[in-house]
Parts: sequence; structure tokens; C-alpha cells
Amino acid sequence: MKKFKINAFLLVGSLIGLSSCTKDLDVLPKDPTVSTAEAFYAQPGAYKSALAGVYGNLSLTGTDGSGSSSLQGLDAGTSQYGRCLWYLQDLTTDEVLWSYENDPGTRELQRNIWTASNPVILGMFSRSMVEVAFVNDFLKNTSPEKLNSRGVVDATLLNNIADYRNEVRVLRALAYYNLMDLFGKAPFVTENDVVNTAGPEYNRQQLFSFIETELNAVLPSLKAPKTNEYGRVDQAVARMILAKIYLNAEVYIGTPKYSECATQCTAIIAGGYSLNTNYLNNFNADNQTSPEMIFTLQSDGNYTQNYGPTTVFVNGSVGSIEQNGASVGVSAGGWGGALRLRKQFVQKFDGASFNSDTRKTIIAGARNIDIADISDKDQGYILKKFSNKNSAGVAGVNSTFVDTDFPLFRLADVYLMYAECAVRGASTATATQGLTYVNDLRKRANNGSSIANISATDLTLSFILDERARELHWESHRRQDLIRFGKYTGGSYNWAWKGNGSNGISISNNLKLFPIPTNALAANPNLTQNTGY
Amino acid sequence: MKTIYKKLLFLLLMLPFSVLAQSTLDGSVVDSKTNQSLPGVNVNVQGTQAGTSTDLNGKFKLSKLKKGDKLIFSFIGYQTKTVAYNDQNSITVSLVEEANLLQEVVVQVGYGSVKKKDATGAVTTVGAKDFNKGTNVTAENLLSGRVAGLTVNTSGAPGSGSEIRIRGGSSLNASNDPLIVIDGLPIINVENKSSTSILAALNPNDIESFTVLKDASSTAIYGSRASNGVIIITTKRGGKKMAVDYNFQYGSGKNVNQIDVFSADEFRAIIQQYKPSLVSSLGTANTDWQKEIYRRTDFIDNNLSVRGNLFGTIPARISIGNTHQEGIRLTNSFDRKTVSTTLNPTFFKDHLKLRLNATFANENNRFADGVEGTAFRYDPTQPVYQAGSPFGGFFEFYNTSTGNITPLASNNPVAQLLQTYDKGRNNRIYGNFEADYKLHFFPDLRAVVNVGFDQSNGYRNKLVAPNVASGNQYTVSGIINYIGSDYTQTILLRNKLIDTYLAYNKKIGKLNLEATLGRSYQIFNEERTYYGDTRRNPASQVNPNVWRPEADNVLIGYFARTNLTYNDKYLFTASIRRDGSSRLTSDNRWANYPAFAFAWKMKDDFFKDSKTLSDMKLRLGYGITGNQGLPSIYNNAYLQQYATGNSNSQYTFGSTPSPISLSRAYNDNLKWEKQTTYNVGIDYGFFNNRITGALDVYYKKTDDLFNVAPVPDGGNFSNFLIQNVGSFTNKGVEFSINADVVKTTNFNWNLNFNASKFERRIETLANGADIYLGSAPGTGGTSQIYRPGYTPNSFYVYKQLYDTAGKPIEGAFADLNGDGIITGNDRYIYKNPDPDVTFGFASSMNYKNLDFSFNLRASVGNRIYNQVNAGNAQLVALTSGTVASNVPTQILETGFNTLSDKIGLSDLYIENGSFLRMDNVSLGYTFPKWLEGKASLRLFTGVQNAFVLTNYSGLDPEITGGVDNTIYPRQRSFLFGANVKF
Repeated sequence: MKKFKINAFLLVGSLIGLSSCTKDLDVLPKDPTVSTAEAFYAQPGAYKSALAGVYGNLSLTGTDGSGSSSLQGLDAGTSQYGRCLWYLQDLTTDEVLWSYENDPGTRELQRNIWTASNPVILGMFSRSMVEVAFVNDFLKNTSPEKLNSRGVVDATLLNNIADYRNEVRVLRALAYYNLMDLFGKAPFVTENDVVNTAGPEYNRQQLFSFIETELNAVLPSLKAPKTNEYGRVDQAVARMILAKIYLNAEVYIGTPKYSECATQCTAIIAGGYSLNTNYLNNFNADNQTSPEMIFTLQSDGNYTQNYGPTTVFVNGSVGSIEQNGASVGVSAGGWGGALRLRKQFVQKFDGASFNSDTRKTIIAGARNIDIADISDKDQGYILKKFSNKNSAGVAGVNSTFVDTDFPLFRLADVYLMYAECAVRGASTATATQGLTYVNDLRKRANNGSSIANISATDLTLSFILDERARELHWESHRRQDLIRFGKYTGGSYNWAWKGNGSNGISISNNLKLFPIPTNALAANPNLTQNTGY
Repeated sequence: MKTIYKKLLFLLLMLPFSVLAQSTLDGSVVDSKTNQSLPGVNVNVQGTQAGTSTDLNGKFKLSKLKKGDKLIFSFIGYQTKTVAYNDQNSITVSLVEEANLLQEVVVQVGYGSVKKKDATGAVTTVGAKDFNKGTNVTAENLLSGRVAGLTVNTSGAPGSGSEIRIRGGSSLNASNDPLIVIDGLPIINVENKSSTSILAALNPNDIESFTVLKDASSTAIYGSRASNGVIIITTKRGGKKMAVDYNFQYGSGKNVNQIDVFSADEFRAIIQQYKPSLVSSLGTANTDWQKEIYRRTDFIDNNLSVRGNLFGTIPARISIGNTHQEGIRLTNSFDRKTVSTTLNPTFFKDHLKLRLNATFANENNRFADGVEGTAFRYDPTQPVYQAGSPFGGFFEFYNTSTGNITPLASNNPVAQLLQTYDKGRNNRIYGNFEADYKLHFFPDLRAVVNVGFDQSNGYRNKLVAPNVASGNQYTVSGIINYIGSDYTQTILLRNKLIDTYLAYNKKIGKLNLEATLGRSYQIFNEERTYYGDTRRNPASQVNPNVWRPEADNVLIGYFARTNLTYNDKYLFTASIRRDGSSRLTSDNRWANYPAFAFAWKMKDDFFKDSKTLSDMKLRLGYGITGNQGLPSIYNNAYLQQYATGNSNSQYTFGSTPSPISLSRAYNDNLKWEKQTTYNVGIDYGFFNNRITGALDVYYKKTDDLFNVAPVPDGGNFSNFLIQNVGSFTNKGVEFSINADVVKTTNFNWNLNFNASKFERRIETLANGADIYLGSAPGTGGTSQIYRPGYTPNSFYVYKQLYDTAGKPIEGAFADLNGDGIITGNDRYIYKNPDPDVTFGFASSMNYKNLDFSFNLRASVGNRIYNQVNAGNAQLVALTSGTVASNVPTQILETGFNTLSDKIGLSDLYIENGSFLRMDNVSLGYTFPKWLEGKASLRLFTGVQNAFVLTNYSGLDPEITGGVDNTIYPRQRSFLFGANVKF
């Protein structure tokens, strides 16, 4: 028996020894495009590539093409930052309708009957917060201690990384600005938190203070306006975010800050930007070269393919009857008439003074101005503002993914913000200067002619609201503007399909804020739902 | 000791007779039941070279026998019988057919086998003689409908894989596919893109038996891969006798059903009525597009196998198979050639058993895109071909002056098929080598080593003709030029296994002890390359070769099992497996999977005197199993990894596009899904086991469910993350009965019936939040939901309102939450795709040499979301850009106009998908003494997919996932064939 025991143990031992040891369970990625954190940062160019990732999250949805997304819960293409932003800021207003109401979330948004389970609202919330996560990860991985531990000593690289760190902090502030504007609150997470942290809820006041403090802290270290390379943030971008939070401070924190806004506007204008002589060159395939651009969301038919706002605009505004895609550099049928204008927006251009206004790119044809049936793409007027052809008339390389950048911040907006602050009594702005800026835009819109110039008495708040629509339509400002002017909720201004009525009806005040998405609320117990949802 | 005394006594009694001289014996061998004589029975004298075999009349003659010699009668399919020679002049020996003896069926249980009568778990074995007849191109179809609790849903594509479910599946996000083990080698559950399915490389003719392990007490030995059940496939072995088998089968198939749309003339009238502006776009042809995309098909299957004793010592089997199956979709075909060899010699008086299996399979596929959706909608007034068309002569909607394709018009579906050459070639080698050594110095102990290897090497190339009217294009001065495409990918999947174990078997009095202890090591590699895309596009370069290997997956397991049998009546099994996986952090890497089972053969305790009841066994089982079936993208999901974007996903700094790199979301706390199963079963037999069967009741609970669920925003690199949250239950009952209804000399009739019912429920989900899934009209639309308290994939729709005449009111839905407005919050859960009950029924009978068999499957209560109607049966769908499109005739019932207002998510599109299908019916005749008795020949004919009875309005109610968005239709084919045995 004893002999057997020894033999058996020997045998078991030798059998098990045949196979290799359990260290085989530690496997590493083999895909050359995927690496662990340490392996990744050891590669040359890693820091810039990581920076491109943080920026790229504003244009791209994922790393593997237009159909990939770092987010879930909604269609990958629809989860693009600029597109979600546009859906919330413009589709919910008088500017536009989306024909394919079976695309989840669109119907409820454009009829102002959204709920917390709306996938696009989830997309906006999560896209902004994942930007915060990417920024925090970048800051964690570029802390002096980390760099030191990795033996990064190259002085140029260290200098560059210092710049990168300042820039991503602006991007984080941008994300929190969007969240503050749209949701009125957000989970607050910084680079000091560990992975999977459920951030505490910051209200508008807290977010406002954070954005203001953070941007002011980083501002002096940022590059001067127009001195950074294309695609990156400079002082003007930081100032633009500041200007926006000050402009809407009365809405956000109940305290008007128009003077602070005007100060920032003046500083931006002093940065060397100028209006593009051709209004439409701000919306075509080489608009990144426009001297008016402060910051854009990139799109490129080869390198930066996304279903972002400009691809949606160019393909979506091709008319179902007109089949005019070729004239804007995409396939003739585009998306079959996905986007049409609501009557109230079209009427902003009524009157002789807009006869030669280059901003009026509305195509009426034999169409009916009213849209009684949203699914009938032949009803309602269409728009031809954005194009995939460049200023020389050459179409972009791809007939779906456009080369056209989305103008997130541009000078014309700053002019109108300044004028608005002046009218609202900012101590740092003058009505005369405001009028000049407005008329500069009018002249530009009329090929340099002053025929459509306005007088000082015309410069009223209601004029500014309408003029902002005429100048900046589809550029994701409309909801914010309407709220600031008290016209979004309630019944003082109704537009087609507002509140789910074909002629528009009053909507509840609580709709000024979007609900915290069901999923986000469920996953983070610190968050509370907004009133009315 | 008692038995030894008996033996001694016996010898003493025999002694006086053996003194007498040697003499000759005349004998005959008959079947114990039918008394028919059995030719070819081996008759050997134990311990000597002497022996013979029976002649055609079952007679034999042996001389020089000594009294007391032991005569051994052996014959395939019969129980071996030993008879002592007792100086008689003649003898009649009756052999008992093996299949009649339930207790002799061997059940594979993983790292060993047990006799069916001693099995303690819910286990079903299907042997070759019970396989489904007919066109069974992939192995799983041999047992479709034959095992209670097992469903096999095969698509209509030739050689296509199946959705195989044992007890309905138990996971939400991880795999629900059972583990498939071929001769001890667990195979990878990832299909090679160049192949049609994971089992396509296995020639069904090489399979000897399937054992389906259903409950955890039997599967837990496979640990982290066992939650969805295990199917153990045993291939045929070599034999000592030479035998040659040749099978030939030919089938001719065609499509039998279409989506109901309007004929050309009806369509003209509809367009005239509803879209008069499109009348000018109509043509003059009468084309049935759903007919044009299909064809009559041929199926040819040849298989030759030779079995024999190589060099007189190595039992061997070699088989060569060739299967050619055409799909009904134009151009689609599957072609498989297999060579498989088995050597199973034994050495040292059976102390060392070796077994080598090696199979080479070469698959050549031509794939065809699913154009069903285009075909049923394509304008029936247009012709297939058009003279002068620049698109290869095919009709397309295009502007004759500019040459540009009409915007938003779909492409001619026939052209899509014929202008695509999508070829896949897959070479797969798999096999195993097993050495089973019974220790010379200690024969109670066996040491077994099993080394397995499986590699599939795939190449797939898809060429789209340059004169095609879709896809890649470039524009020159406003004219769009289509340029086709040329896209290649290669896929390498490899799987290596080393299993080592010791098996100990000892009988101590009434107690029989079996114990197994071992280790398993398996590694999976996966590599892919992609290259090419657009060809002849002057504006862009061909994409470079991209190499995308996945991280390896390594699994290491230690296992132990003991079977205790007391008095051949009480059986107890305990097993444990400790599994480690490379997919988890070192903290969570290892997990234990224990199982216990108890069985009690009750017949003699309670029904000792019963003549009716012949067998009764109670089984109780409990066990914990795991599920690690995650897509390979999660191979390193616990590690923080940075992914660098592809060339289309870059961000430009200055004027230089820069690759982007982002951290992937990761979960460093990931662990395995675990499932606890309780099973109670009864195996029964009546009338001397002419009627046998089993009844099983089970309850399964899955915890730590893999779930892609929300995470706190900002805390990780996504809003959703793979996590272990939520639980899931599944309870069910299964019943099976097998009856030899008639068993006489000339007429035999066997019936097999099984029924199963299960109920799956999501118990908890992460944060209690719903998860939406399942496609629906619209980009990113969803029609199904995961919600605690409901069956997974339940339909989540709006409640349709009807007018007094019972006609649905367009866009009118019940305001279920009563807020006066119809929003997403008014959706409700209405039915689910799980069947209430499924049935399988098989009948086989033979009268003399004539045989007739058929098998039926039925599913009751499964619901289907008819997305074909939901997304197309509205008048708005009559227009596609500036051309007309056909729509389902269901529009006549609803009269719906638009697709907005959630019309596509109306509950009226949820239909009852209950069905009864006859998979196969066949009739055969055997010539037993063909070629002057040297061979037997069976000729047969049959129908595959003979009929489906259903009220479902769509094409075919047998779909996967519950959403019908057009399927590859299953063809009906008429077969004939021959089996020749030498």
C-alpha cells in the first residue's frame, strides 16, 4: 500500500508537471493597436496621441471608425458630441425638424415631450462625462510624478505636455459648461478620483464656480489666440466659455454678469479674428481656414469620419424633391429629406431687407411652408447652409462623410454677444460698438453693401434674438438663446410642433432643463432627478 | 471471498466432464427476440486461436473442442455471450440485441464514461441509429428534436451553423452556446469568417454518438464553461473486422415560401391610387423578385469509410467525405471535403489503449449577401436585365443622360448577387491523441493523457464587380463612378489542449468506488488580418494590411470526481473543478465548481413484483457551474488598455492627422458568472424496457450575471461597462419517452417523443435599470427589453388601439401612464420570444426490408416581432426617393400611412410564432444480400423540410432572437440515396 501511495504521488506530480505553470494565465494584448497603460506611454508620440484622443472625443465617437462608439445605449453614430449637442440645442426649437421619427429619441425631442429614458439625452450626458474621464486620465498620466517615474526628461516634450495639460483642462471646463447649461447639474469627478468613482452632484452654482475658477487659473498659461496649431485650444476658446457662462449667468445662478461677458468678448475680438467676407465659407469643406473660426469640431472625409452635425446637415438637408445633393458635394439623394425647416424660423427672413441676404439659404420651391405630417418629406422648406464643397467649388473626398467642420465658436457669435450685453446694460460695452458689430454682420451678409444695415433704435433685445437665429441657425445656440430671452418654455412664443401640437402649444417651465438620464441616475446614487421628471 | 468460493465450487462440479475426449459441435445463432438466424457472428474458443463465424444461415461448426471450453459469441450490435462447451453435439445460442439493454448504453461524462444505468445526472445519449435521417450537413442537425430540452435552430444557408440551446440558455450578455467537446477536445465557440459554422468541419458520418449533459451535477466537471450544458461528440472508432461503408445522397431543393407583397399588376394599381406621381417611374415588366433571387439547388453527398485491423493489430478507420450543397440564393454554395482517420490500438493485454483521431477538413464556400429585404421591396414592374445597361446589363434605376444612379433607389437584388464573388476557404485540422494506461503494478489505476489540437485557417475574399451600381465610388465632374471593391481577410483560430488525469476503480464488497483526479490546460489563439477595400479608386489608396490578433485566452482547471455505488442500487457522485482563466485579475481568477448527485434504483424496493415496470431510477443533482463565454474583445477587460484609432478616426493638429489613443473602459473586478442548478429526475422503463424515458424537473439560478450595464458617468471610459450584476432564474420540466410499439420478426415500429417547457426570468439587473435591445425600424431602434421580473428579450411596445370594427387606428396607442401624451413611457411589455412548450417526435418503422421514418418538431407560444411588416407595411414605404417600392400586403389590413408616431412599435406586429415542422420523412428499402450476399444495399428517398404548419404571417416562424427582419429561407428538398455496406 505504501508503495502505491508513493507511485501515485509521483505519477500525479509528473502528470501535472507536463503542463506549464499557472503564470500562463497572465496574458497581454497582442493587437498592435492596443496596449497596456505602461506599454502605451512608453511609445514615442504617445502623449500627443493621447491628447488627440481627448480632443478627438469631441469629433469622433470611438477609435474604430464612424460606427464605433465608446458609449452605449444609443446608436454609435448618433452619440457624437456635436450631434447630441445640436439635437438638444436646435432640434428642440423652432429651427428644424427631423423626418425619421422612428430614429429613437428624435420624435420626443422635437415635440418637446422627452423623458429621462431618451437615448439622445443619455448620449449628451455620457459623452460630456466621458470627456471629463478622458481629461482626468490624461492629467493623471501626465502628472510630474508619473512623468518622472517613466523617465520623461526631454525638455521639449515636457514643455509640450505642460501645454497639453492646460488645454485638456479647458476641454473639461467645456464639458461641464454643456452639462451646466443642459442639465443644471453634473457628477463632479477630477483627476484625483480613482476609476469607477461615483462623483458627487454639483449644482449650477458649484459648476459655475468651478468653470470660472478653472478657466481663469489656466488662462494665462494658454497660448495666445490664433497662435496654437489648428485643432487646439487657445486663450480665445477659454474666454469664449467664460463669455458664455457670464452671458447666461442670470439663468444659471440668478446673477447677471453681462459686463463680465462683454469684457471677455472684447478680449476675444482683440485676438485677431476677422469676419470671412463670404458668410457661406464658414460652412463649407474648407471652413477650418476661415479667419472667423475660434474653435471647430472636426470632420474629414478621409481622416475624421463621423456622423456628426456637419455630415448630418449636408446629407440631411438634401431635399426629397430637389435631390440636390450633388450641388453640396454628397450623393444626389442625400438622406432623402431628413431635415426641414419649421415655419417660424423661415419667417425670420420675411421682408425685403433679406432679399439679398446670403444667410438666407432657404429653398422653398413648390413646397408648402407648413409641415402637417412630419414623415412627409415633401412638406416644409429646406436649407442649404452647409456644404461639402470647398470655397473653390470642389467636392470633398467622400460623398457621405463631409470635410466640413462644425463651427462651435466663431466671431459672429461674439459680435452678437457683445451687442446683446450692450443692450442689456453692460458697463464694459457700448451700444455704438454693438451696433457696429451687428452692421458688420449685415454688410458681410449683403456682399459688403449697407442696404440692410440697422439703426440704433432697431437694436433691441427681440431684434438680437431674431438676428442670432438668422446668423447662427443650426449652430447649437437656439435653445440657450430662447431660454435667456424667456421664450423657450411657456406660451409666449410657439412654433410648429412645440409641445406636440402641429401649430405649437405652451410647454412646461421645467423643460428648460433636460432630465438626468435614467441610466446615469441609476448608476450614480449621488445624483438627483431634475424637477418635473 | 464469497464469489471465489462459488467459482471454486463451479469448477469442482465441472471437473468430471472435462476428462472426456475432444469432439465436434454444430451450432446456430439466433436473435433472442425474433429467433431469426444471425449470419457473421464470431465464434471463438477462449484462450485459443480456434474460432469461426456463422454462415448466412447462422450456422457454424467447430471441432476439437474440450469439455469446459468457453465459447465466445460476439456480434456487432449484440451482447457478447459466453457458453461453456459441455460435450453436446449441437447448440442454439440466442444473442441479445445490445440496444434493447438500456443499462449497456455508455454515457460520456467528461474525463470518463459511465453506463447509462449508473448515470446520476440529467444526461441524454443519442447514438448513430437514432440520428435524424435526411440532409444533415452539420452535425447538430442529427439530433435536432431528439433530446428533451435541446433546441437546434439552423438557418437556411447551406452548411450554416445553428443556434443550439440546452434548456433555453442562462445568460444575458455572455454566451448561451453549450460547450461542445469532440473526443475530449472542447472546441472554440468562435466561427471562422471563412467558414459557415463551428461544426461545419465535422463530417456527420463520422459521428458515433452525442451525449448531452444538461444539469450541473453532470456538467460541473467542465467548470467555468459548463453553464449552458455540454454536448460531447464521440467519433467512430476502428474495428477488428473489415467493414466498408459507402453512402451517397442526392437532393434537389427549392424555395417554398415568400413574403406576401403585391404582384406587378396589383402594384401598378396601388401606385396609381396612392402615389400617382410615381406612375411614370414604373416599368412594363412583371418580375417576381423573390423568385428571381433564388434557384433550384443540388445537394450531393458522398461518404466512404473503411474500418479494419491495420497490420492485424491496429484497429483503424478512415473516412472520406465530400458534401456539396447549393443555397437557394443565387451563387451561394457550401463545399466540404473531409478526411478523417482513427487509430485505436491496444497494447500489453489492453493495459495501454491509444487513440488517435485526426481530421482534415477543407471547406470552400461562396457566400451571398442577404438580399431578401431588397427583393421583396423592389419594384415588380421592372425587369431583371435591361439592354444597354452600363451596370453589367442589369436593370438599375439610373439617369440615362448622366449615368448617375437614382438617389435612394435600392439596387437590383439579382445584380447584387451575381456581381459579387464572395469566397471563403477554410482549412481545418483537428484531432486528439489519447493514451490510457492501466498500471501494470496497480491495475485499479489508470493514467490518461489527452492532447488535442484544433486549427482553422481561413481566407475570405469578397470581390464586387467594377460595373456594380453601388458601394465604393468616386466622382468626376459630377458623374459618380462605381468601382466595386476587393476586400480580403484571413482568420486563424487555434486551440491546444493537454488533459492529464488518473482514474481509480475498486470494488470493495458491495461498494464500487471510482475516482478521477486531473488537470486540464487549454490555450486559444485568434489572429485576423484585413486588407484591401476599394479597388481602382484613383482618389484613395488601397488600405494597408491590418493585423489584429486578440489576446490569448488560457484556461487551467483541476478536477476531481468520485462515483460511489453501493449494492448496485445507491449511486453517489461528487465532483469539483477549480478553474483559472486569463480573462480575470489574479484576485478573481480562480473559482471552484462543485457538484453532487445521488441516484437510487428503486425498482426492486417498491415494484419488485411488477411485471409492467421494468426499471425505475430516481436522480437528485446539485451543482455550480460557470460561464466564461464572452466575446474575445473582453479577453483583457480587466486591464486598462489604450486603443489607437484607425486611419478614419484621427484628429488633425495643424495640418497633420494624428492617430487618437483612448483608454478603453475596464473592470478590474470582473469575475465569472455562476450558476446553481437543482435537478430531480426519474428514468423509467416499462414492459422489459420496451418503453423507456425520463422525466426531469430543474431550477437554475445564475448570479453575478455578466451585464453590460451603466456605470457612474465620468468614473470610467464609457457609460456602460461589462460587470457582474444581476441574477437570472430558469425553471423547467422535460419529458421523454421512447417506445418499441411493435417488435416482431417482420414489423418493427419505434416512436420517440419529448416535450420540454421552461420559464426564464430576470431577477435583478444593475441598479434595477432596464436595458433596451432588439432591432426595430429607425437608426438604433429597439423593440425588446431586459427588465427584472420578466423573460429576457420580452417585447417592449405600444398598445395598439382599434376602432369598433376591429381595425387598428393609425398612430393611436393606449396612454398607459395616463399623462395625456404618448411618449416612450407608454411602452409596455407584451409577450416574449420564448416558447411555452417545445416538442420533438420521431417515428421509424420497418416492415421486412422496407423502412419508413419521419420526425417532427413543434414549438408553441413563441412570439415574433414581425419587423418586415413593422418597418415596411405603410404607404409611405411605397416611395423610395423618386422611385416606387413594393410593400407587404399586410398594409391592406392596417391601411397605415406613415411610419412616424411609433407605428413600427405597435403590439400588432407581435405575432404568435407557434409551429409544427416536419424536418424529414424518408422511405427506404434494403437488399440484404446484394452482390451475392457480399454486401447489403439500402436505397432510400425522402423529403427534407417537408412542411411547416403555422399561423405566423411572415416567411418562417423559426427565427432566432424574436425579431424577424427577413431570413434566409429554408429550402424544401427531395432526396434519394444509397448506403452500401460490405
